[in-house]
Amino acid sequence: MKKKIFTLAPLPLTRPMNTNNGIWLCLHFSQLPIEVFDRHQQEKPVVIISRQRVVYMNVSAQKLGITPGSSMNTAYTISEQVVSFERDEEKELATLSQLAQWAYQFSPNVSIKVPHSILLDITGCLKLFRGIKNLKATISEGLNRLGFTAATGINGTPMSALCFAESGAEKASIEIIHSDRVADSLHPIPIQFLRIDDHIQNTLHQMGISRCQQLFELPIDGLNRRFGIFFTDYLQRLTGEKPDPQKFVADKPRFRSDVTFLSDVTNTQSLVFPMKRLLGELQDFLIGRQLLVNQFRFKLSHRNHSPKEFTIFLANPDNDAQMFLILSQLQLDKVGGMPEIDNVSLAAGIFFEAEADSGDLFHGTQFKQKDGRTHSKAEEARAVRLINMMTARLGPQACFGLSLANDHRPEFAWKPVTMATKDCWHDDQPSGNARPLYLLPTPKFLSPDVPYLSGKLELLQGPERIDFGWWDNKGIARDYYIAQHHSGALYWIYQHLHDRSWYLHGIFS
Amino acid sequence: MGETPSNKSADQPLDSLLQSAGLWRASSIDCHVKTNCSSGFSQLDQELPGSGWPSDGITEILHDQSGIGEFRLLGPALARLSQSQNRWLHLVSPPYIPYPPALLQAGIDLTRIIVSQPKTLKDYLWVLEKSLSSQSCSAVIAWPAKIHNKQIRRLQLASKEGNCWGILFRSEKMSADSSPAELRIRLRPAARIKDSSAVSLKILKRRGKWESDDINIEFSDQLQRPMPGFNEMIVRDLGESSMVHGSLRDEEENFYPGPTTPDPAYEYQ
Repeated sequence: MKKKIFTLAPLPLTRPMNTNNGIWLCLHFSQLPIEVFDRHQQEKPVVIISRQRVVYMNVSAQKLGITPGSSMNTAYTISEQVVSFERDEEKELATLSQLAQWAYQFSPNVSIKVPHSILLDITGCLKLFRGIKNLKATISEGLNRLGFTAATGINGTPMSALCFAESGAEKASIEIIHSDRVADSLHPIPIQFLRIDDHIQNTLHQMGISRCQQLFELPIDGLNRRFGIFFTDYLQRLTGEKPDPQKFVADKPRFRSDVTFLSDVTNTQSLVFPMKRLLGELQDFLIGRQLLVNQFRFKLSHRNHSPKEFTIFLANPDNDAQMFLILSQLQLDKVGGMPEIDNVSLAAGIFFEAEADSGDLFHGTQFKQKDGRTHSKAEEARAVRLINMMTARLGPQACFGLSLANDHRPEFAWKPVTMATKDCWHDDQPSGNARPLYLLPTPKFLSPDVPYLSGKLELLQGPERIDFGWWDNKGIARDYYIAQHHSGALYWIYQHLHDRSWYLHGIFS
Repeated sequence: MGETPSNKSADQPLDSLLQSAGLWRASSIDCHVKTNCSSGFSQLDQELPGSGWPSDGITEILHDQSGIGEFRLLGPALARLSQSQNRWLHLVSPPYIPYPPALLQAGIDLTRIIVSQPKTLKDYLWVLEKSLSSQSCSAVIAWPAKIHNKQIRRLQLASKEGNCWGILFRSEKMSADSSPAELRIRLRPAARIKDSSAVSLKILKRRGKWESDDINIEFSDQLQRPMPGFNEMIVRDLGESSMVHGSLRDEEENFYPGPTTPDPAYEYQ
């Protein structure tokens, strides 16, 4: 019998053109190498050096007449005030990735374009932010607060938006949303802003081509033959003829931010202000992502000393920068041994979803609940605040709650619970036998034969036999008694069933 | 015997004097202003100003022997506080484990209890003051080995600020010294009367009155009732000298190595 062979008909190759309908916003951080060290650019001239040459400088350095490529000696001759940093590309990338996390509040699709740009797919969020103008204003206001400057570019494809931002064609970009006109909009852009190899650019220049318009007029087949498939592929993605899928940053939230001091800080108290700024950024991040945090870490460092770190733990996840600051100050007081500090950074990696908080309709009026208590938000907040302050000052282990535990052995019938987990256990049928209010952490040996503790102990009640736990090597076999000391004190003592010796285990205080 | 008319008329000027607004009697201070928490023992309530434990201020409980009912005396009040209020009961560096099954038997809501163990004396006083003034604790209980009057004074102010009852367990030796605490109570073991245990109590200092007589407070806990059918073991009296394993009091402070010596240089913040 001949076997029937089913073959799948090849699917019609339809080119997904929907990428053409997108609107992309690109933020280009041309000053990023400086801003990773000196946000909120101040009066002081700051230069970034690489291989002993100035590569970037801020506005005040520029005003002094320092130009890219000048040597450090030249810069110092011009002004003694110049502060220099070695270029740190790793830090630039880390900051860029943090900015991408920050931009997540505007769009779920954020992509990083090295070295200094991030791309946002704003197709779906224009309605939320009431148009491109408003969105741009919100973004630039937010960046201003963070202390970064960025050029914006908006266009119908990712690559063209990038071109716009990097070339500074900001003004032209607002009107162009229509996808068919992406190529037209690019016409005046000089070709050095295209992301193409240097040798192609040189060849194009030699051919007398300096603007995109001239480039687009050339036949695509010829370009393909001359410069290779990658070049024409790029051009097609640029103009939207081909789809250009982007790799978006993972939505796993992370927070890291730092402040670098242009001159060393010797007094830890003067760290409070930069810490406040960092915590404010953390709060903005948490609110933007609708998250809460229950621990975060400060790191104080200096180029000549080993860094010091401290972590702040909270009883409940929260997003209140003001409380964070109080707790951080408590910890800061205990950090010693840092003679100088030139950088303080804040990082958080574990986040919790924020629950929607409904407002208080009755403005703090307290009502008695069914359990006979009055609940108010302010009271709960105060209770949590005390725990937070104590854990910050005493450490996470030094402050705990109490709970029963599911075990018959007296020493295991309770457990401490941390305020963060609150994993309490409740006994449905509590034991009716009297238990002492004080339990000794380890039973105190009294005597080998008779109950005796600097005077005779009179047995009043008992025995209550507890023979339990033989299976886990911590088994006990004891007869418990309530005994009275001649002074009148009541003790909880037991006789070991095997060697008949007596121990004190609790005090009926 | 009935009162004579002459006596009655003699009382009247005094009565009318007592009615006048400008005159107050020491015994009536605080009694009507605050709703105090009943101690659960009627004899004690009668003696306490405001007929109950105070809702704020520092109360000192002075005793030497552990196990005479010093904590059980607070049991009913703490149970009521834990059940009626959404605030913490804070135990600061307890000398032993405050045993949760027993706390539960006393009616205390375990979810309202926090225990803290500050390591240094500075932290210890900081924790006491912060939790007293935080308004988030209904009672703060501590067992300070040594504490200065100046420090108690600060705690007293903090407890007023936070509307929180501060309880300090101290040694009976301190009863001779003065203290800024608002209420001071001395406890001694009571002679065994019935099945339940009891404690002998004397109020050394209170608002509006002189110190009280010795009062016997009886706990209805049946702890001293011999169980039916229980043959009491014959215990040899070994005498004090033959076998001494060291008194319990000596080792108490080693269970939780808390702060024992005061730091005179301690400055609050």
